[in-house]
Amino acid sequence: MIVFPGERRLPMTEIATDYRRYLDPRTLARINSLDLRARLIVEGLMTGMHRSPYQGISVEFAQHRQYVQGDDIRHVDWKVFGKTDKIYLKQYLEETNLHLICIVDASESMAFSSVGSGKQTWSKYDHATAIAASLSYMAIQQQDSVGLAIFDNDLKHFIKPSNTPGQWKILTHELTLVPRLKKTNTGRILDQLAEKLTHRSLIVLLSDFFDDLGSIKKGLRHLRFKKHEVMAFQILDPLEIEFPFEGTTLFKGLEELGELLTEPQALRAAYLHELQSFTADLRKLCRGMRVDFTRMNTADSLDVALSGFLATRAASIK
Amino acid sequence: MAPGFVAAGLLLVGIPIVIHILNRRRFKTVTWAAMEFLLRALKKNRRRLEFEQLILLVTRCLVLALLGLALARPVGCQNGALSMLGGHAGLSVIVIDNSYSMAYAVDRPDAKTHLDQAKKLAKGLIDQLSGGGEAVSIITTSPVARAVIEKPGYDLEAARQAVDRIQQAYGATDLAGAMQKALEIAERESRQPDKSLYLLTDATRSAWEGDQSTSLKQLGPELAKIYRVSHFNLSQGQNQWNQAVLQIRPKDNLVNTKFMAEFAADAKGFGAGPDSALEWSINDRPLQAGQPLKLDSDSAPSTGSYAFKSGGPQVVQATLAGKDPLPADNTRYRVIDVASELKVLIVEGKRGITPLEGSGAFLQVALAPTKDSGPGQAKSDSYVQPELISDLELGNKVLTNYSAVLLANVAQVPSTTAGQLEAFVKQGGTLMLFMGDLVNGDNYNKELLPRKLLPGPMVGPPVHSDEKGFFFDFKPKGVPHPYLGVFANQENSGLDTAQVFDYWRVEVPASSPVERVLNYQPAEGSKPGEKRLPDPAITVHSLELGRVLFFSTSANADWTTLPVRMAYVTLMQELLAGSVRPGDYWMNLSAGQSLEIPASIRLAGAPTLMDSAGQPVLMTSESRNGVAMYRSAPLERPGEYKLKTGTAEIPIAVNVPANEADVRTVPDEALKKALGDADIALHGAELPLQASLNQGGNDFGWKVMAFAVLTLLALECFMAMRFGHFRRSQVVRETV
Repeated sequence: MIVFPGERRLPMTEIATDYRRYLDPRTLARINSLDLRARLIVEGLMTGMHRSPYQGISVEFAQHRQYVQGDDIRHVDWKVFGKTDKIYLKQYLEETNLHLICIVDASESMAFSSVGSGKQTWSKYDHATAIAASLSYMAIQQQDSVGLAIFDNDLKHFIKPSNTPGQWKILTHELTLVPRLKKTNTGRILDQLAEKLTHRSLIVLLSDFFDDLGSIKKGLRHLRFKKHEVMAFQILDPLEIEFPFEGTTLFKGLEELGELLTEPQALRAAYLHELQSFTADLRKLCRGMRVDFTRMNTADSLDVALSGFLATRAASIK
Repeated sequence: MAPGFVAAGLLLVGIPIVIHILNRRRFKTVTWAAMEFLLRALKKNRRRLEFEQLILLVTRCLVLALLGLALARPVGCQNGALSMLGGHAGLSVIVIDNSYSMAYAVDRPDAKTHLDQAKKLAKGLIDQLSGGGEAVSIITTSPVARAVIEKPGYDLEAARQAVDRIQQAYGATDLAGAMQKALEIAERESRQPDKSLYLLTDATRSAWEGDQSTSLKQLGPELAKIYRVSHFNLSQGQNQWNQAVLQIRPKDNLVNTKFMAEFAADAKGFGAGPDSALEWSINDRPLQAGQPLKLDSDSAPSTGSYAFKSGGPQVVQATLAGKDPLPADNTRYRVIDVASELKVLIVEGKRGITPLEGSGAFLQVALAPTKDSGPGQAKSDSYVQPELISDLELGNKVLTNYSAVLLANVAQVPSTTAGQLEAFVKQGGTLMLFMGDLVNGDNYNKELLPRKLLPGPMVGPPVHSDEKGFFFDFKPKGVPHPYLGVFANQENSGLDTAQVFDYWRVEVPASSPVERVLNYQPAEGSKPGEKRLPDPAITVHSLELGRVLFFSTSANADWTTLPVRMAYVTLMQELLAGSVRPGDYWMNLSAGQSLEIPASIRLAGAPTLMDSAGQPVLMTSESRNGVAMYRSAPLERPGEYKLKTGTAEIPIAVNVPANEADVRTVPDEALKKALGDADIALHGAELPLQASLNQGGNDFGWKVMAFAVLTLLALECFMAMRFGHFRRSQVVRETV
């Protein structure tokens, strides 16, 4: 159990539920180490009756895990439910050859942050890296191979998939170092990756997708053509979702999009309409190519993303 | 309208614009990732946003501009409706006495006269009102009551300026008229809950206890029910005195060039004043040095005499030497139309062949006695110029060329002729009717009686007597009718001994305004104690501007022996002089009256009128029965005016009303009594503390202003919400 300075020590009975608070971005923002963040996220998600290897689907039972929204109900242990009136999932040890590739958008727009305060801010990039690190951690724990791609307008880093114990350290190190100063070019990057990836993989794409929809569509289509499973997480800041500004405001655009001095309250309705329209188009595009699409708010808990990943992983193995 | 508020409103219009510009300079900076959506939203909504911002800016500017205008209370927005919303609307009516007596000079700082002090007081009262809240109306009293501000206005600065514009009048005080106007204003402004009436007068007897006392008694309680009435006595503490010439009157009705004219001047003194002297002058030429006079309110008239050498309008002037606090009434002017020739038309019903046989022959001789004269010399010295015609010629004559028309034993008067006679009399002519054996009583009753050209219905047949005859009821020792004043105390005038054998009896109603100049002695055989009025022998009555004289017997010797007596000439001269209207009746006016030129005055062109300073006075004309009638603007200042008719210059006398000279004042208790014991607050010539005037106070102006501001701000907020401000209802939280 991790105890932060100033925090009260929790009794043992509360420890299990206490881990779930590490799914909250505001808590995670106070932790500088990405690998520690990832561990805590996974701990929070996998809180069970006893410590166990973090498993998915296998023939050999490994442990029980508490049910969370999005879990496949086929794995519910109905006997336990009958005895305890609580829903737990069965998890099994399994051998797998899954390749997980996390593609993280490191463009300038991902640096936008309104969650947290001072130095303990939580940007969209923080959210994306936390998810990527957590998923990688879980995958490596299950002997899956994990790779990483970081891009802005170019593919900055590409780490080939591997399931060696040191892989996770490499990944978290890369995610920490990458600067975010440039424009994005998602479609081209996806094209490049589609050419690079020779093994059928589960691709997790973490971005705000503030890019040309046509280009994104082209890239995704290329990945799907290569038989990769794709999960797209659109990560947005609460300010971007609500646009609650008032008073004369100078908006300085990231990614070289200029400046705009305006009365935001007058533009709010039109802005929200544009954003919703873009998201709807993106969602429709993904649905058309059987790409899982999830829009994430950096102020919300991360378990949704992780649960979705586990469900998708299970489906891909099956 | 208050220009200050308008200017302030227009200046305030700039504030939203300045704020808008400042807001563009003061902004917060946000680093923004989703810039593409923002730019796209702006591109699609730029026109709408600009339009909404413009509407909002214009609305804010209008809010301030309208607020300034509302406070300025422009024309068309001055009713009390908005004020009523404040709950404390008020109305103040200020009656300022500007009559001549208010010109009384006193030793006060910044106020030389009572009127100056009254204006100062009025402005002080206005200053105590709530700006933009209470309405003010101002009424003056002279020469007639006039509302300077009739519709109560909220612009107090305009009210102050109106007070400044009030001029000293030289007319009388129409206090009852002013109060009536105040009553009418209160009735029109019945929704105003708080009403005050301020009377600013010098409390003179003539104003408060004169002709209008009955009206004041009636109006006082009515006003006290509606208004909180306050009186400011401008003469309080002043020991006022004044001397004046109240009237100049000729002894005789008709002044002519043949006889010495006597005049009487009523010079009076009111209050304790020094001795004075009266100086006469004719046409600006002094006549005689004035004798010292000790004047009081009961002083006997001073007399003067003058023999006019020429006829026409001439100015008699009487002036009191010395100075007093009201100098304008020390001089009085009187225009006398001196008769040098009086044209009369004698209409005979019976023409004679021999001298004195015609029915009007004696009249002609009596009015213009002949004298022995050589060729080319006048046959008579009389100023009367009779023209003898038959009744058949009457219809061809222009009656307005004559001062009098005498019908002597005219049998019948045709309807058209009766109409002409009626018009002639109404315009100021004199009609003298003499009876005779030819007179048809039925015709007279039918044509003349309805036109009021008879003193009453003639009752036929004519009354006849035997040889003894009837006698006029004339007593030399008694008090005769003014027309017969010349016969007073004359034992052997012959009037009482002249016999009348026949006469027409007329029934004069008891309530009739007809004057009996001379009656017949009661007939013998009348029962003692019988209260029957004697039959009238001579009557006179007025019909509009003219007079009708009825002589019940003949003008010649047919029915009476009077024409052969010496008294006949004098009687006829006196009857004519007494009943003829002098031509100067329209030439003597009081200050404030307008000059109206009678139709009988011949004009060679548009008349012009100059005042005593030589300044022209506006004359207007209007058509009345097809004849252009000229009327001047009210003649405000006393003095001698000059009317130019194109062929002649006629003097016009304008005098201060006589009753304004009496500057003696009534005490405060009498003021209350004069107003019917109404509840009024009495003050002196100074403004008391505001609290005593404006009990209960009022702050409604601020409430109205606050109401207006809140209303307009609510409108602004609504528009700001509608066109831009953040609305919580629009927050859409997307499910992740």
